[in-house]
Amino acid sequence: MKGKGNNTKSIQEIGWLKLDNAAKLFPAIMTGELTAVFRITASLKKPVRFSIIREAAEITSKRFPYFSVSLGSGLFWHYLEFNNKLPRIQTEDKTPCTAFAAHRRNEPLYRILVRQNRISVEFFHILTDGGGALEYLKSLLLTYFRLAGNEFTSTEGIMSPETAITEEEMEDGYKRFFRKETPPPGKLTKAWHLPYNLNEKPRLKVIRSEIDLCRILEVARNNNVTLTEYIVSVYLFTLQKIYLEEKAKVKKLKRGVLRIEVPVNMRKKLPSKTMRNFSLFVLPEIDLRLGEYSFEEILKIVNYQIQTGADLKQIGRFLSQNVGHEHSFLVRILPLFIKSMAISAVYRRLGTNQCSGIISNLGSIKLPDEISELIESFELVPTPPNTHVKISSAMVSFRDKLHLIFSNVSNSTNFEMHFFKFLTEKGIPVKIVNYK
Amino acid sequence: MSYCANCGVELDDGLNSCPLCSYNSANDQKSEATEQSELYPSDIILLYKKETRRHIWELSGIISFSGIAVCTIVDLVIKKSLTWSLYADTSIFASWIFLTLILLAFRKYFIIIPGFLFTVLSSLFLFNLFTPPINWFYGIGLPMTLALFACVIIMTILWKVAHFKGFNILAFSFIILSAFCMVSEAFIDKFLRNSVDLKWSAIVAISVLPVALVLLFVHYRMHRGKRLDSYFHV
Repeated sequence: MKGKGNNTKSIQEIGWLKLDNAAKLFPAIMTGELTAVFRITASLKKPVRFSIIREAAEITSKRFPYFSVSLGSGLFWHYLEFNNKLPRIQTEDKTPCTAFAAHRRNEPLYRILVRQNRISVEFFHILTDGGGALEYLKSLLLTYFRLAGNEFTSTEGIMSPETAITEEEMEDGYKRFFRKETPPPGKLTKAWHLPYNLNEKPRLKVIRSEIDLCRILEVARNNNVTLTEYIVSVYLFTLQKIYLEEKAKVKKLKRGVLRIEVPVNMRKKLPSKTMRNFSLFVLPEIDLRLGEYSFEEILKIVNYQIQTGADLKQIGRFLSQNVGHEHSFLVRILPLFIKSMAISAVYRRLGTNQCSGIISNLGSIKLPDEISELIESFELVPTPPNTHVKISSAMVSFRDKLHLIFSNVSNSTNFEMHFFKFLTEKGIPVKIVNYK
Repeated sequence: MSYCANCGVELDDGLNSCPLCSYNSANDQKSEATEQSELYPSDIILLYKKETRRHIWELSGIISFSGIAVCTIVDLVIKKSLTWSLYADTSIFASWIFLTLILLAFRKYFIIIPGFLFTVLSSLFLFNLFTPPINWFYGIGLPMTLALFACVIIMTILWKVAHFKGFNILAFSFIILSAFCMVSEAFIDKFLRNSVDLKWSAIVAISVLPVALVLLFVHYRMHRGKRLDSYFHV
């Protein structure tokens, strides 16, 4: 581990970074609606003091210099250029996750948003995933609370500004753990999509919910599944309900597979401390061409598929597939504009067809008690879904509450209604949260 | 603390009806808006905008056709035949078609652009018919209109494609302008002398192209300040 000073200098010397494997997709597909931006919010127990948050952002951003970058276009690939710029601090807007002007020179690719008692960070996915962004937010909160006059005996689990920056934080985890000999996964059939029409632009609408964590955990444990598996099962069961309603109307539906994309934080599976993107995914599915499933059957299937799919050997096949393309000589020497067009076309043709829904689980946030007491809740707003999938969701648990959010670009809230109705019928209290 | 009687979810303070199903717990029945139709606010705004465009179109139709009638009658009364009013009527009618395309084929560029092209060509064809004996439409009118539309389409595509808009847009417009000048001179020469000898358009190109190259260099190399190692990494 090198000292902070040395590494900061070396980052300035390097001047730029290659995009990690996951990030390579985003410059090619991002639009004003498909922004590839996600938000993590911390609601404090007291209103936020704007004067302090500015100073806290300045201190914290120096601890995470690899986020102070802007997007550059090379002849063959995009890259990240160090710019030493601080993130913009803005008032939280009604529409979350709006796009960054990523192609503008020296444009920061993350921002801090403040409103009432909420501090949010929005990151362009090109920089990092939910895991990396959460580490930044935790560090920002620690600095903010300290500047507000609090003193803490323990800062365990938080990358505080005085800790040393390691080179490992900047590494490309995908490249480090790529094994050439691992075979790629099998080809996937096309998944069914929700039949709703799209909203008028700006399309994104967000529904926030607060769920009793103890109760939902109890229900999940009674069914011998984890929280993620339980939520995924409810998601698939709701999709099945809408699919069957649609089938009764349309009779012939082209696709019969319902598949959910569940991102997996690879930092928990492999020994990497990278702060850049390092997630892969499992794809639990049910095939309705085989008949209708009861909820108990779906629970069993999802439990099996997530347990086997998240196995390191199995999930490594996706890593092999994704990084393998990037290693191809032909792909590497293609000029950027052709590569971008090809990536965009492949994403439109394949990427949007693979799944019917997305659920990201940031997990349970653990902070020292002294710090936890100052925070009411956390929530994660997922990146806006594409116009085929239409709805994406994200959840995070903190203390005794689970915050589940749906991002929806369609003009119907039918899916969310069925989803929450199912939970309340199972005796799990759900509160719909309204931001003022 | 209130609950939605339909979904069973608890509603946060300030929520009068359920955001999921629009069920109004206060009245213990579905809110009026949902009872009447399944429209969401965005749909209503969309319908409102569409209706407004239709009203503007109807009004423009009344004004245009009144204008055509007035011009025709005045021409007939004073000159006892249709003379200048043919030009005025064609122009007013073409303008109304433009407005119709913009209002009724709203943002459907695959309809608007060919519609514009067809209207311009038809108007020029009619003007040519009104001015015998010189037949200039096929020699100059048609090719120059096509060239102009091609230039506008290319410029629009470049504008859309360029992520960073600055000197590059100015340079592209210079290059396209000089290309248009050359095409114009070629067709005018061909029409007047039956041979092509580029003179003034060549001077325009020689003056403008170096400026465009300097602008492109400034934009892509100096202004962006790219590092060579990052720019060329494979």
